[in-house]
Amino acid sequence: MSRKISMKQAINEALDLEMRRDPTVIVMGEDIVGGTGAQGEDDAWGGVLGVTKGLYAKHGNRLMDTPLSESAYIGAAVGAAACGLRPVAELMFLDFMGVCFDQIFNQAAKFRYMFGGKAETPVVIRGMVGAGFRAAAQHSQMLTPLFTHIPGLKVVCPSNAYDAKGLLIQSIRDNDPVIFCEHKNLYGLECEVPAESYAIPFGEANVLRDGDDVTIVSYGLTVHRAMEAATALAKDGTEAEVIDLRTLSPIDWDTIVESVERTGRLVVVDEAHPRCNLATDIAAFVGQNAFGALKAGIQMVTAPHTPVPFAPSLEDLYVPSADSIASAVKRTLSPKGARSIAA
Amino acid sequence: MAQNPFPLGKDELLKAYRTMRTIREFEERLHVDFAKGDIPGFVHLYAGEEACATGIMMHLNDNDRIASTHRGHGHCIAKGVDVHAMMAEIYGRSTGACRGKGGSMHIADLSKGMMGANGILGAGAPLICGAALAAKVRGDRGVGITFVGDGASNQGTFLESLNLAAVWNLPVVFVVENNGYAESTAMEWAVSCDSYVDRATGFGMPGVTVDGTDFFAVYEAAGEIIRRARDGGGPALLECNMVRFYGHFEGDAQTYRAKGELEAIRATRDCLTILSERVIEAGVIGRDELQTIDREVNALIEDAVRAAKAAPLPVAEDLLRDVYVSY
Amino acid sequence: MAPVVGIVANPVSARDIRRVVANATSLQIADRANILLRVLAALQACGVRDVLMMPENGGIRAHVERGMMRARSRGEDIYPALHPVAMPITGTVADTHRATAEMRRAGVSALVVLGGDGTHRAVAAECGTVPIAGISTGTNNAFPEHREPTITGLATGLAVTGRVPPHIAFTANKRIDVSLINGANGGAVTEMALVDVALVTERYIGARALWRTENFRELYVTFADPEVIGMSAIAGLLEPVGRDESGGLMVRLSPDGDCRKAATTLHAPIAPGMMARVGITDWRRMPADVAFVPEVTAGSIALDGERELSFSERDRLSLTLRDDAFRTVNVAAVMRHAGQNRLLTGTPVPVAAF
Repeated sequence: MSRKISMKQAINEALDLEMRRDPTVIVMGEDIVGGTGAQGEDDAWGGVLGVTKGLYAKHGNRLMDTPLSESAYIGAAVGAAACGLRPVAELMFLDFMGVCFDQIFNQAAKFRYMFGGKAETPVVIRGMVGAGFRAAAQHSQMLTPLFTHIPGLKVVCPSNAYDAKGLLIQSIRDNDPVIFCEHKNLYGLECEVPAESYAIPFGEANVLRDGDDVTIVSYGLTVHRAMEAATALAKDGTEAEVIDLRTLSPIDWDTIVESVERTGRLVVVDEAHPRCNLATDIAAFVGQNAFGALKAGIQMVTAPHTPVPFAPSLEDLYVPSADSIASAVKRTLSPKGARSIAA
Repeated sequence: MAQNPFPLGKDELLKAYRTMRTIREFEERLHVDFAKGDIPGFVHLYAGEEACATGIMMHLNDNDRIASTHRGHGHCIAKGVDVHAMMAEIYGRSTGACRGKGGSMHIADLSKGMMGANGILGAGAPLICGAALAAKVRGDRGVGITFVGDGASNQGTFLESLNLAAVWNLPVVFVVENNGYAESTAMEWAVSCDSYVDRATGFGMPGVTVDGTDFFAVYEAAGEIIRRARDGGGPALLECNMVRFYGHFEGDAQTYRAKGELEAIRATRDCLTILSERVIEAGVIGRDELQTIDREVNALIEDAVRAAKAAPLPVAEDLLRDVYVSY
Repeated sequence: MAPVVGIVANPVSARDIRRVVANATSLQIADRANILLRVLAALQACGVRDVLMMPENGGIRAHVERGMMRARSRGEDIYPALHPVAMPITGTVADTHRATAEMRRAGVSALVVLGGDGTHRAVAAECGTVPIAGISTGTNNAFPEHREPTITGLATGLAVTGRVPPHIAFTANKRIDVSLINGANGGAVTEMALVDVALVTERYIGARALWRTENFRELYVTFADPEVIGMSAIAGLLEPVGRDESGGLMVRLSPDGDCRKAATTLHAPIAPGMMARVGITDWRRMPADVAFVPEVTAGSIALDGERELSFSERDRLSLTLRDDAFRTVNVAAVMRHAGQNRLLTGTPVPVAAF
């Protein structure tokens, strides 16, 4: 049975289904119950934006409110994972990674390799990413490149409710630490989602739109901007292929390269800052492995090299827009495309 | 033989002595071999602190978890990690506990409940809260012990973990191994409240200070604290005051020590001497029995070094192995 | 010359296992320092200008000096000068012995002691005729009375500045001397206790504290006070003996804590928060200057509540109570005298009129 639900509901459903399936799954985070022990606990918050609402009533103490103490509880989630549980720890805003990154990149990510393959750390750390929420510099970042850089971490960033549910279920079942990035501006976006459980394998990009003129690769919110751009370009006769990466580590190189070999043109869109991000990573990979297929220079569309500004007038300029993506596509199509440098 | 007045049977006493002697010989041997240039990287020796690891670990089983520190060899041995595998690991061999991928600072054996030495100071405290949480969720009566030095006790992770363990009432014991020096910086200078018991009190759990060079003091206090945690009585802190026979790491000239300090602590605060004299004086164990253990331990360490040196090195294909379970 | 007062403040009292087994108090270092500042302010108010202090690295001195520095920077002159005794710090009871001996040699008029029974015992071992003013910062604390330290400081100040006559200001105290002669090498150890000596069957010192009543065998107390905690309470709940009476009490406890074999079963507060059943075989008065040889032949000797020595069948052990063994400041008497003679008013009643 399928029905239209939001990405927020899809995430809630994935957690509920996995907790039912596997008693070792526990969920912890700041305010994820949002009122343990309070009189209204049955109708408590369920997270600042209500993502985990209602789960406490169903699963009781397997949902654990934590102190505002990210190092301690993220580390506890990692330690519990190494001892046989499958914890899902919510880090509210992934910007808060700054205070507990050691437990993620020096501990969780390294256990398996550092202990000679004798440890598994099936922990999921999920939280909000992305700008456009008027949440300013410390609650709006797209830090996916940082996580992707670390061997041992898997990084997931869904663009819709269907993918969010299937990828979160896969993340919980995966035996490696997974950073699950939820774009806060997509929480309310609805699509058709089956009620039953299903898992989407990692490393399989989703081709949202076929086209032979140019390949646009993106993930998260900017996938939707890319689709808008593609629709607009189609009116002028340009058919863009749009690829939603879904998982950044592992990444589906095959789908990207195969598409570029067909279109000869590549635009990579990343909400992260312009240096050392997914766009530069993909551009470099394609440059190294599919140079002969390229008819024009690769274009990258990213956020600027600035913190996320608060003022709405500035923040609206910050996130890559459909227009900027369409312009990038046009640059790859211009005769000078091969020599031009993105403005 | 006289009646045994100790809280452990003779076999257990012999086991404790063997563990402490094994740690001592292991570290003394590393001290020598490191100076010869046989060992890559750097090592931090536990010599002098054996009574603490042993007095605590005598109360634990493989289902109980520990999170160790950079100075972790003693914790590993006392928790039952194979000495040959440890030595091979320190020598960077493929037969090592971590197949040569971890080295001295990352020896782990999860099958023994040893969640790893740790190169990040204070990082073990949150991890052990997770281990204790897992035990609590499963209801298997397991406990988690995290070791932290006097220096790393200032880490936010440690203080946050005290709070988390108290809030969640976790079966965790926080062991502060106070050897007086955070690397080279005096504990008196670096720890503002001066007493770890005060810190524990501030987080709503009991704290106890014992003489960490007295095996029986550690054993007895740890026994009460661990039993309490196992029974659901919640976390506690145990401060063991002890001495470090060597520098922060091998090669440390230790110029920060007082004149004669090392000679004095070796003469008066050697936990192995204190233990052996106590059991011999009580007439429970003969000196010859301890000497037999000494010989067996020497042979064990000698064999571990020989085996480590003869063991194969990891090869190129090992470089990329075990980053992920699956990709 | 103005009198000088000595201070011994133990940073490691109240840190043992009784915090885990019995929720005992653990007084924070910062609070110990605050107690000292209150004592210092009271001493200064009485005219004491110089105070010697045992050095320690547990943090008390650092907090005290910070407090004094803050007062000075606000322009307040409320503390006497504090002089640490020049000596190495070992972090053991040897520091208390050494500091006490040094201060006695330096001619201090009284010693203010912050600690439990154990700390006071260590001071009493070396203080000679210098009176002790005890402040309880330990666990069981049968010896030091519980009182606001400012008042202890005031009484000490009034006593040492001669504003209260010595026969009122100071009282005599008892102690028990323990003699242990090693059967193997003939070596002798002499120790003492201010309140109690307990003989227990554990032969190891371990975590020191006493809480397993099944191992208790014999008990010797200088005073048997039903109002305190610990060994003295066991005796005190059988037959109270005052601090100012001659002699003490000895109690025999039934083996293995078997209350059925005991003549009497006593329910006693043996540690803070710990009520325990103790089987009593018999008890009797312990006159001064009579050596008692225990029936127990091997085990540990706990002095003032902490296991300190172990002994075996080969060793010879005897215990002797001494009256008038050392002096303390009688805070209650000093303060009563101060009130009756209006010592702290602008126009004190002349001492001659008393």
